[in-house]
Amino acid sequence: MRTKLHTVAAAGAAALLLASCGSGESGGGGDSAASGGLTGEGSGESCTIEGEVPLGAVLSLTGAAASYGESQQRGLELAAGELAEQDGVTYDLTIEDDQTDPRQAITLFEQFVSDGASLIIGPTLSNAAVQADPIAQEAGVPVLGISNTAAGVTEIGDYIFRDSLTEQAVIPQTIAQATEQFGLEDVVVMYSNDDAFTESGYEAFAAALEEEGVTVSETITFSKSDTDFRALLTQAQESDPDALVVSALIEAAVPLVTQARELGIDVPIIGGNGFNNPTLMADAGEAAEGVVVGAAWNSSSDNPENQAFLEAYEAEYGAQPDQFAAQAYTGLKLVDQAVRANCSAERDSIQEALGQIEDVPTVLGEFSIDENRDADHPAVVQVVENGAFAVLE
Amino acid sequence: MLGQYATTLTFIALGAIFAYSFYAVLIAGQLSLGQAGFASLAAFSGAYLAPSGDDVGDVAALLIAVAIGMSVGAIGAVVLGLPTMHLRGVFLAIATLGFAEAVRVVLLNQEWTGGAQGLGVPRVLTVGMAWTALALVAYWFWRMGRSRYGRALEAIREDELAARSMGIDVGRHRLAAFVTAGAVAGLYGVLYAYYVRLIAPNDFDFVAAVEGLVTAVVGGSTMFLGPLLGSGFQTIVPEIQRAVGVEAGWIRPFLAGLLLLVVILFLPGGLASLLPRRTRMPSGAADDDDTTGLAGRRHPAAGEPVITLAGLGKEYGGVHAVRGVDLEIRAGEVVGLIGPNGAGKTTLVNMISGLVPPSSGSATVLGTAIGSTPVHRIAAAGVSRTFQHSKLFNRLSALENVLVGAHLVSRPTFLRRLLWLPSARRDERAALRQAARCLERVGLTDLAASRAEALSYGDQRRLEIARALASDPSLLILDEPAAGMNHVEAGRLSELIRSLALDGLTILFIEHNVGMVLQTCTRVVVLNFGEVIASGTPDQVAADPAVIEAYLGSADDDADGGPLAGSPRAGATAAGAEAAPPDAVANLRPGAAGTLDTPDSTPRDAT
Amino acid sequence: MQQLLNGIFIGSIYALFAIGFTLVFGILDRLNLAHPAVFAASAFVGIELVERGGLSLWAALPIVFVFGAVLGLVIERVAFRPLKNRPDAHFAGLISSIALAGMLIAVLQWRYGPDTRRFPPGSFPDTRYEVFGAQVTLVQVVILVVSLALMVGLTYMVTRTRLGRGMRAVAENPTAARVLGVNVDRVTAVTFAISSALGAVAGVLFAINVNTAQLGMGAAIELKGLAVIIVGGMGSLPGALIGGLLLGLAEVFAVQYIGSSWVNVIAFGLLFVILLLRPQGLLGARKVREV
Repeated sequence: MRTKLHTVAAAGAAALLLASCGSGESGGGGDSAASGGLTGEGSGESCTIEGEVPLGAVLSLTGAAASYGESQQRGLELAAGELAEQDGVTYDLTIEDDQTDPRQAITLFEQFVSDGASLIIGPTLSNAAVQADPIAQEAGVPVLGISNTAAGVTEIGDYIFRDSLTEQAVIPQTIAQATEQFGLEDVVVMYSNDDAFTESGYEAFAAALEEEGVTVSETITFSKSDTDFRALLTQAQESDPDALVVSALIEAAVPLVTQARELGIDVPIIGGNGFNNPTLMADAGEAAEGVVVGAAWNSSSDNPENQAFLEAYEAEYGAQPDQFAAQAYTGLKLVDQAVRANCSAERDSIQEALGQIEDVPTVLGEFSIDENRDADHPAVVQVVENGAFAVLE
Repeated sequence: MLGQYATTLTFIALGAIFAYSFYAVLIAGQLSLGQAGFASLAAFSGAYLAPSGDDVGDVAALLIAVAIGMSVGAIGAVVLGLPTMHLRGVFLAIATLGFAEAVRVVLLNQEWTGGAQGLGVPRVLTVGMAWTALALVAYWFWRMGRSRYGRALEAIREDELAARSMGIDVGRHRLAAFVTAGAVAGLYGVLYAYYVRLIAPNDFDFVAAVEGLVTAVVGGSTMFLGPLLGSGFQTIVPEIQRAVGVEAGWIRPFLAGLLLLVVILFLPGGLASLLPRRTRMPSGAADDDDTTGLAGRRHPAAGEPVITLAGLGKEYGGVHAVRGVDLEIRAGEVVGLIGPNGAGKTTLVNMISGLVPPSSGSATVLGTAIGSTPVHRIAAAGVSRTFQHSKLFNRLSALENVLVGAHLVSRPTFLRRLLWLPSARRDERAALRQAARCLERVGLTDLAASRAEALSYGDQRRLEIARALASDPSLLILDEPAAGMNHVEAGRLSELIRSLALDGLTILFIEHNVGMVLQTCTRVVVLNFGEVIASGTPDQVAADPAVIEAYLGSADDDADGGPLAGSPRAGATAAGAEAAPPDAVANLRPGAAGTLDTPDSTPRDAT
Repeated sequence: MQQLLNGIFIGSIYALFAIGFTLVFGILDRLNLAHPAVFAASAFVGIELVERGGLSLWAALPIVFVFGAVLGLVIERVAFRPLKNRPDAHFAGLISSIALAGMLIAVLQWRYGPDTRRFPPGSFPDTRYEVFGAQVTLVQVVILVVSLALMVGLTYMVTRTRLGRGMRAVAENPTAARVLGVNVDRVTAVTFAISSALGAVAGVLFAINVNTAQLGMGAAIELKGLAVIIVGGMGSLPGALIGGLLLGLAEVFAVQYIGSSWVNVIAFGLLFVILLLRPQGLLGARKVREV
């Protein structure tokens, strides 16, 4: 029995060893042995770094959050493809799947940290960020969140950044504009209360509504996996609101909007970042008309970066991008910006450069990182018109 | 070296601890998914209530949280267990799952838990602490394995009814197993919280519960190292996939599923079945008469009444299986109960041993009133029995079967085994000696290490007798002990029964081999249509015209009542009775073994 | 009134899903946890048939039915039959069906991606009716009719046909059934096929009803399906229907009177009450334990 046990343990250890060999480009802390290769000559476009810059990305490619992870993967790969065509700096981007499981996210962060990644992108979900980011913070590895919107993520430490606007940065503006537009007096708020993203979205909505003096006649919760909202909507209908304010992910948004129209609810429906997805129009069709979406990314923006992105994405994947893809794409571009700024892919150098990003033209608009390492760029309030997002004016 | 794998190793330890909480009940044959709920309650209350590490030190804070968490888990298990412990199999699984989901929804709706955004917890746990905790848990289950308590749980898993008849209080044992599961799940919840820094109610959802169950079953739910192996397997699969460069995406869960399927299909005992097992052998000193360590029993003196039945009856939906039976059996008697199929013999015996409550009349067995007294109490009073269809603990060895039989006369050893007290060792030895003696008595010493299910039919019957003897009973009830035995074997059995009677044991047995009954018994009772039609010495009964009549007339209309009717055997035996010539009453079915089809031995209560 | 109808419609979906679940349980005493995966897979396949194959929904439904039946046969063959003589078949069957479900979902993700999908607009006439001032869509009426028809049909089959007698015999006692000449393996396989075919139809109707199909749609309804089969009585077909409707109504009225946050506890509250008061379920028969 004893010898057999050793065999099992040895097999396990061997597997672990293999694991490190497989993905390990340069072991160790990243500054000792590899340091020669990660700092180059020149700056900006002329910057030339000899070694490959190792970047890690932790995304949820399978499991409950797979659809966001996949969008992010596409955005990252599109950006990586474009960066590969530029001279000077070569990136070695490893995209890994955390299976929507915090344990995997933690393990992957540890792995990227010890494999010498210059920066880690991700993870997809805010909860996983709170769990995994401290590992990078302690090791001094910069992290760029591309979809984390929960409060407090960047407070973990000075190595944690994000290019995703928090709900608090998007929603007040949305409510203010919608109140003005539709003369809202009382509304019904609906949100899924078992998801960190939608719950924090709800908190922002509630605060903004109070700020604007709009009465919330009823608050209705549901589960993120719900798809039949008829009972809830009928309930909402009873208080005859001026609008439905909804904090939900796109999976819930589509059936919710469809069923609301089906039940004859014709008042405006106001959503947050979760609604900012072309699927809304594609799947809800007619029913999506008039839905107001406050979002970080203005998909109809005609700034050249955005137009180029839309075109390239469409050409590459034959589909329209969503906000996750846009933020992921922007994220990698920002990382390139930061690396080239000091012409160094050392962790500390990237960290310093990321913090100084200011007024960079991106897909998301003029982009800066503020003193809290959060994103700062214009948010947009959109309305669905003729099957497309248009800016609400 | 260790540092690099610290995370993976920690998750292996955490996964294993969680799997142990499933193992704790699987070992008793219970399928519960409530552990996720216990872990969740424990994690939140532990993290919320424990003092901050700044005040008392990190480790102290963790220990306090663990104490809170384990208590909360255990209390949760009691609260959930009391109303649900009577549920079996999938029912229990779904009820406990419902509890876990309810906990999740309630916690989501609480302010203090942070709702879906979760509750922040400092990271205190290190890989060393995780493995220390795992070692303690594994140690607990290791020492439990060979204790009286551990054996009782396994017996319940294998055959709950037989376990009851061996005097095991099934309800209490199951609840104890459930509470252990709750405490271990609580430990997991708190340790997990203090490692991942943020806990949200969704971390303990249905998926998490299923994963814990999968880990335990894949590892093996009958061997204490199983959960550890299972967790190692489950944690390392993604690592290996990354290592060999399987592309991230759908293919990984696909392969993981495939691997899981292969393990389940081709390794029936889980990964632990790859480990060779040390089977316990009787400790040679079988003939050593030292009985210290065994609880003494007071047997009734010869002639004292053992069974007193007054107007005992049983009705199944209008059919009277047994009616108005008055019978007294005194200590030292060997009573044979015969009668055609469907005569109500087994029902009568089931009532006497407490398995079936009577519908009318009263009965006292060894001073215990029959009716509302649970089976294990009646067993404790000194009744021990075998069953018509062998109800052995199939996956246990012959020796272990008999050790379970000795449950009532051996002392609890688990807690003392945890502390390695020598007295526990002495008591276990004594139980082993007792078991060895019983095996020797039925001639199965050589097969002590074989699994019960691997024994031949005749050996299984004898093993059942050995198991029944192990509790040092005052009254031994045998239900068709000679079924499936040939002449020689039946003769030896008859000798055995007589020698047991010489030791002062009172014996009541049902048998179709009338020849053997007449040879063996001091008294024969004949039952027909649920009524006693004759009672007396073998000679008297053999000459009784009513008996002859009953046997010959019964074949046509015995389709009614009695638990035997409708079983495939009923037809076969009835046909046998019909074919018997009138003068064959003395030996109604010669060579019973030859004509009997082997009764169905598939487990019926596998739930 | 609207709420009453809402409850009936959601309840009939629960019922349809649960009937497939309970059928296998009634016969085999095993839970087939791959059932939710069949539910999701058939919705996706149905969408593909309509979207790419250009079939009308009415043509797609029978194909999906057959697809579900085939999946059921595969599940039985791969995840259950090899285990049938094992003492731990109970746990093992759960695990093997979970493993198979994981593989099935992974294949779906490979084939269709992780995004939500839907039936193309107009694949089902979105006729609406007004009943006592409440809105009802044609889809909902169809769902209700289909659930009722399947239930009646199945009950007829189980009580009247040869196959049904075989199924009941196997449910009662497999060994005895074998002795009596019932081909137990075949009956078991057919049961799985029917059960999965029902799950498949339920998946398609559900996806039309809520206008969305997701990889996780089966998992979302799974827990409620489990609650329904207990509430209705394990293995009881009318029980599944009544349990489903009961749960649907209870949830809808919970929204109104208790609060929407607690809706997902209703299923389990109901389940607990039933388990405590009437463990065999509303319409389940109490099985007598054999000694």
